[in-house]
Amino acid sequence: MEEMEEIRRGLEEWREAKKGWPERREEFRTDAGIPVKDLYTPLDMEGIDYLGDIGFPGQPPYTRGVYPTMYRGRYWTIRMFSGHGTPEETNDRWRLLYEEGETGFSAAVDSLTFSGVDPDQEVHGAAHEVGKEGVPLYSIRGVEALVENLPIDRMSVALVVEPMTSAAVTSMYFNVAKERGLRKEQLAGTTQNDILTMTIGYIPWGSLKPADLLKLACDLIEYCTAMGEAPRWNPINFTTYNYREGGIDAVQEIGMGLANAVAHIEELLRRGWKIDDFVHRLAFHLSAHRDFFEEIAKYRAARKLWYRLMKERYKPENPDAYRFRFHVQTAGSSLTAQQPMVNIIRTAYQALEAVLGGTQSLHTNSYDEAICLPSEESVRLAVRTQELIQEETGVANVVDPLAGSYYVEALTRELEERIWDYFMRIEEMGGVVEALNTGWLFNEMSKAFNKRRRDQECGAERVIGVNCYVMEEEEPTPPFRTNPRAAEIEKERLRALRAERDNRRVAALLDRLRGVCERRENVLPVVSELTAAGATLGEITGVYREVWGIWQLPFVA
Amino acid sequence: MEKKTRVLLFKPGLDGHWRGIMTVSKALSEAGMETIFFGFKTVEGVVEAAIQEDVDVIGFSVHSGAHLEWARELVRELEEKGARGDFLLLVGGVFPEQDHEELREIGIDGVFGPGTVTAEIVRFIEENLGRKVSG
Repeated sequence: MEEMEEIRRGLEEWREAKKGWPERREEFRTDAGIPVKDLYTPLDMEGIDYLGDIGFPGQPPYTRGVYPTMYRGRYWTIRMFSGHGTPEETNDRWRLLYEEGETGFSAAVDSLTFSGVDPDQEVHGAAHEVGKEGVPLYSIRGVEALVENLPIDRMSVALVVEPMTSAAVTSMYFNVAKERGLRKEQLAGTTQNDILTMTIGYIPWGSLKPADLLKLACDLIEYCTAMGEAPRWNPINFTTYNYREGGIDAVQEIGMGLANAVAHIEELLRRGWKIDDFVHRLAFHLSAHRDFFEEIAKYRAARKLWYRLMKERYKPENPDAYRFRFHVQTAGSSLTAQQPMVNIIRTAYQALEAVLGGTQSLHTNSYDEAICLPSEESVRLAVRTQELIQEETGVANVVDPLAGSYYVEALTRELEERIWDYFMRIEEMGGVVEALNTGWLFNEMSKAFNKRRRDQECGAERVIGVNCYVMEEEEPTPPFRTNPRAAEIEKERLRALRAERDNRRVAALLDRLRGVCERRENVLPVVSELTAAGATLGEITGVYREVWGIWQLPFVA
Repeated sequence: MEKKTRVLLFKPGLDGHWRGIMTVSKALSEAGMETIFFGFKTVEGVVEAAIQEDVDVIGFSVHSGAHLEWARELVRELEEKGARGDFLLLVGGVFPEQDHEELREIGIDGVFGPGTVTAEIVRFIEENLGRKVSG
């Protein structure tokens, strides 16, 4: 205590002594607007109890990491998000990445696969977008080609599809494994399956209503985890990364993520499952954005908050359920089309945040992504960025090296409080489904994005190449082009499939799905039979739209 | 009273990256224009509405890589309706600089790639409509 008094006096004297030294700005703030003091000292640690608030890695409250050895035991998984053109071309890219040392895969799909539309459906110019933003996976044939000659029993694959098509695409993957003589119990992987991504981040054509998206998301969790059909599969990945990309800050990112997780937990409890039947498989996908220390503090605070949520509210028996496991993606929205090589540096710092913050897996963006899909060269550099952190920097040789930093600990506590308050605000308005229906969440996103735009336009938020250090650009980077014949190839693939499958059986199964949807039963069993029988995404999602109707967005923007 | 500049904005196709065009919509409103944001819309629907609503500008945003296809489709539809040249046409989104010239050749007046500041779009509309936007 006496020592604290001395420090307090010393600090006052120091502040007095430095009065003649001007600072760059009137005030300093983090990206989330938290005031940053000139200096952090042991005084900022007051009220932080080492054992209760920080503790040991692999032990409650998990502030320092979810596993006891962290990267001394095993490095994080290098998991790159990729997909373009046709499944065969994406397979080529994946095999290249496999040889480059990538240990996990993540399938970026095209806009049709997101929306549940087939390329031969004359819907809204669908054919223009085949294979453009990702790999087309309209039927089991596409998934077969995607993973051809890849050891799916020894790798982990993330399927980045959302509730409208998560049951169909995941079951296609399981059915392909079955064709190869594998059991789905053996498969490790993840389906993104995130309702907020599809309602406030990226708004697909013909979206279902929030409550129906929640139902579909929970169907997959119920089937894979609670019913034990695919116990090693992560049936959901709350992708706060996508919300963050819309312009919100670190506090809103994790606050929305927790609220979203709670909506799913409550729905599954309502269906009669116990918390221990499913909660250990809920996973998260976070962003690594521009404020270095704030992002690291965010990961630490998120682990602690998840522990608190479990302990105070749900009390699962399985100790794994208290561990907040997450994947990180460096922030695509921080990249610039101007001076694209600078993106390599941005991404490297963000990757370091994720590692210092204890992520379980990591995607690093390629420098050309503000312009086009990444080229082979740029993806290789992005993988090397992670390998460099592993092999050359030494940062992975110690667990949670920033613990005990007065600043990082103070920021962790501040974020923890702010995130919890934001989460409770959403809870008090009835949870995420209600906050979607009223347009509140949508409005939060719009406000945040417009503020960011204004800050960048007036220079309050500095962005190299955009509002500072601007220079005449040399030759633009040669863009990577997706296969211009993708639509033809995919239409042909579907034509062949429709000719060889048992169309009467598919029609009968679609009828069954209609009944299942009307009674609001779990769609997975019948969707699984449908995809095995060669039914397409457009056919399956078409039934959902027909029975449940389409969401009219509440525009507040 | 001078007529406000009317701008119709839409997302063609299925791609759900809405943030960009919603931001432009907000910025143009702030600059004193009247914006109509349609969300997803077919080009047929857009051209019909543009004629009916007597707008000055039609703008769309593409993040799907299908910018050339959508530009051609919009211009073709305008030609069919005999309305080519009645509107200032703008496209924004994520596409390579190498495609800007081709977009102009197709008939798009204003091409705004990644890194565009919204003020540039406002200035472009003002200059090319030959009058100051009323605010």
